Amino acid sequence: MKVPVVTRWGSWRIHQSKAFRRFREDAKDVLAKLALWRKTIHKIGGHFGGGVQSYFLFLRFLVILNLLSFLLMASFVIIPSIVFNTVSFSGSSSIDSLPSVNMTGKEECLRYDPNPEALTVFYTYFLDLLSGTGFMEYSYMFYGFYNNTLVISSGFSYNIPLAYLLTAAFYFLFCLACIIVRSVRCSHRLQLKHTVLVPSGYSMLIFTGWDYGLQGERATQLKQNNLLYQLQVDLEEERIKQKAASLTLTQTVGLYSFRIFLHLVVLAMIVGAFFGIAAATQFSQVSIVGLLLEYLPSIVMTTSNFVVPFMCDQVARFEKYSPSVTIILALLRAVILRLVSLAVLLYSLWKQITCDGDVNTGKCTPCSYNSEQYQCWETRVGQEMYKLTLFDFLITIAMLVLVEFPRRFVVDNCSCKLVQWVGRQEFLVPSNILALVYGQTVVWAGALFCPLLPIINTIKFIIIFYCKKGTLFQNCRPALRTFRSTSSNFFFFLVLLIGLMLASVVLIYSVAIIHPSYDCGPFRFSETMWLVVPNTFHSLSNTTQEFLFYAGSQAFSIPLFIFSWSEGRDKQFLVKQIKEIAALSKEEQEPQQPPRSQAQWNGAPHWGGQHNPAFDPDTGMMTQPRAFFPDEFENPGLHYREE
Amino acid sequence: MGSKHTTFRDDQLDEYQDCTFFTSKEILRLHGRFRDLAPNIVPMDYTNNPDITLPSSVITAMPELKENPFRHSIVEAFSEDGKGNLSFNDFVDMFSVLSEMAPLDLKIIYAFKIYDFNRDGFLCEKDVEETVHRLTGEELRPEERRLVSQRVMEEADLDGDWKLSLIDFENMISKAPDFISTFHVRI
Repeated sequence: MKVPVVTRWGSWRIHQSKAFRRFREDAKDVLAKLALWRKTIHKIGGHFGGGVQSYFLFLRFLVILNLLSFLLMASFVIIPSIVFNTVSFSGSSSIDSLPSVNMTGKEECLRYDPNPEALTVFYTYFLDLLSGTGFMEYSYMFYGFYNNTLVISSGFSYNIPLAYLLTAAFYFLFCLACIIVRSVRCSHRLQLKHTVLVPSGYSMLIFTGWDYGLQGERATQLKQNNLLYQLQVDLEEERIKQKAASLTLTQTVGLYSFRIFLHLVVLAMIVGAFFGIAAATQFSQVSIVGLLLEYLPSIVMTTSNFVVPFMCDQVARFEKYSPSVTIILALLRAVILRLVSLAVLLYSLWKQITCDGDVNTGKCTPCSYNSEQYQCWETRVGQEMYKLTLFDFLITIAMLVLVEFPRRFVVDNCSCKLVQWVGRQEFLVPSNILALVYGQTVVWAGALFCPLLPIINTIKFIIIFYCKKGTLFQNCRPALRTFRSTSSNFFFFLVLLIGLMLASVVLIYSVAIIHPSYDCGPFRFSETMWLVVPNTFHSLSNTTQEFLFYAGSQAFSIPLFIFSWSEGRDKQFLVKQIKEIAALSKEEQEPQQPPRSQAQWNGAPHWGGQHNPAFDPDTGMMTQPRAFFPDEFENPGLHYREE
Repeated sequence: MGSKHTTFRDDQLDEYQDCTFFTSKEILRLHGRFRDLAPNIVPMDYTNNPDITLPSSVITAMPELKENPFRHSIVEAFSEDGKGNLSFNDFVDMFSVLSEMAPLDLKIIYAFKIYDFNRDGFLCEKDVEETVHRLTGEELRPEERRLVSQRVMEEADLDGDWKLSLIDFENMISKAPDFISTFHVRI
């Protein structure tokens, strides 16, 4: 039988492709080793399962996102501002490159005075730290401190307002890109034809559910619990379906009308929470006396975020839906509650700032915004977002210290029946992740007005990571019901995306429609924040204008897009070819001696001497690529003996 | 250099590399593991193909198999006498099929053998019930187990004879996305 001879060039190419592939695997290993908190997260996954691990992976993703955003902001806005404020350039001028707005008759708009009184009691520093006023207000923390400096030095120019705006826009686009990339990776792992839409089926669960690679008692116990829970859920659903099918007509009608009533109850609770938040916001903006009133919106929001889901859970007990429907419904309600209540808060702030949208009435007449209450409205919005973030952080820590640790202490030391029935804390993944999404949405909404908010959020999330890890290992029992992590991961990134959309609505509205404050901030002499961009564009030289126009126009961008897309496709095609050649060469390398244990594998159609697809004239490609063996290919230029 | 010559001849190593998915280094390592299970029985020198088998109880005590609910059935499926006594060749075969390099169709054949507890060539309802029992222990009631196995048969039985042949099994497994990664033992 003749066997093909691989030439020296062919084998060198194959050798190179294998070396390249090995290098890529090694690089991936190194990068994975450098990942933040890798060992901790691995340990958590081993002890508590994939669902809890997905929470910590999500948290790590948000920490890195916030850190990178802060570096973006710092390098383009904060550090230049610091530099220009402290160093004076020779020949520089703080000219306003923006056309001056007619300032006559706008004296009421220029009354911003953030500087605290000369003598302050010590504790006011602490109060200022908590509420973002006083010494914190007129600092790099908030929008109001930044100036509309335009620095023109020898050959170097820097436009702070333009930098501020473009950095904010780029920050949002960067976050959007990161989230989309992560969720696409999640959905690949989902392998969409086998998602939650297609039921997994008992047979799949029974025959492919067990992971043969598991070692150690704890991991196997976890897996067994996982399988058991899934089976029990499926059995429960069957039972409910059977029961539903066995109901008479009147019973069914009664059940459905009861369910509708309960839905209305839940809706009423959620809408009640919204009204509460709106009223609290309005009240706190009008009379700013005392820390409690300042924090009133945060208090009401956090209380409703705790109380309403709890009540919904109690209501859900009477709805008698199947377990999977109950979980999905609870998640949806929690998401709507959190995100819409934040939207309600922002809406009531907007109403106050722009006098219900009508900028030519009442208090908004001279300055196009409510200058009586808000001499610098951007800073105020930034302060509100800062207070929300801080309060959320304090409440999380307080819950850990005041509820979870004592609960474990009581359960461990008191053996009365009621206490043991309540039991130790269980780590609830969905509500924790929604809390993270809420916190991140607040930061996004406030980042334009409070540039240091991302770094505050990074520190907050890092502290929360360690606190949650501590409470997980000390206070929580391993989950009795494990969480389907793959499909839910995708869902949580979707919710994060919705939060980003909400924040970008805030951004777009503030940038394009509301008039910036007259007395503070980098946009103080502009009609809207957006106008900086066209004005700067027109001040460039004509050739630059034409070039930018052309780059943005269709004649250039579409060919560029097609070119980069086909480049990507070409690379994929090349990698595929390399893989196929390598697989083919591996197949060719095994000579055609009948294997010793061939006799045992009766019914093995492809393996071994009976059929080698390498010699098929049409196909020649193996379906299952095999791993590369590092020991082979010691001799370049393979030759086969003729048998 | 040294140990390579004392344990196996070159042509033996070549034969092992042809028949399994392991390299010569891995085969020598496997021999070390096999020997560690019973150092008094397994010789160091395999050049004259000694006919030594280790009983199932020794093999199923390995850490890779200890927690597996199907360990006895796995060992029996790869043993020549069907009772779980493995020679070194059977041992290497077993880990070769369970390795990540074995193709899907081979794994399916052996998975079918493993789940066929009464060794009749078909997965009947009792086999499925036994599988469920081993997976869940005593947590489910017997009628729940029976219900689960009935559902499994309904889903997977294509020709309606109330038992799963290899074709039915293959059909079902090919729809599972992660079978090839779960049917994998790292050694």
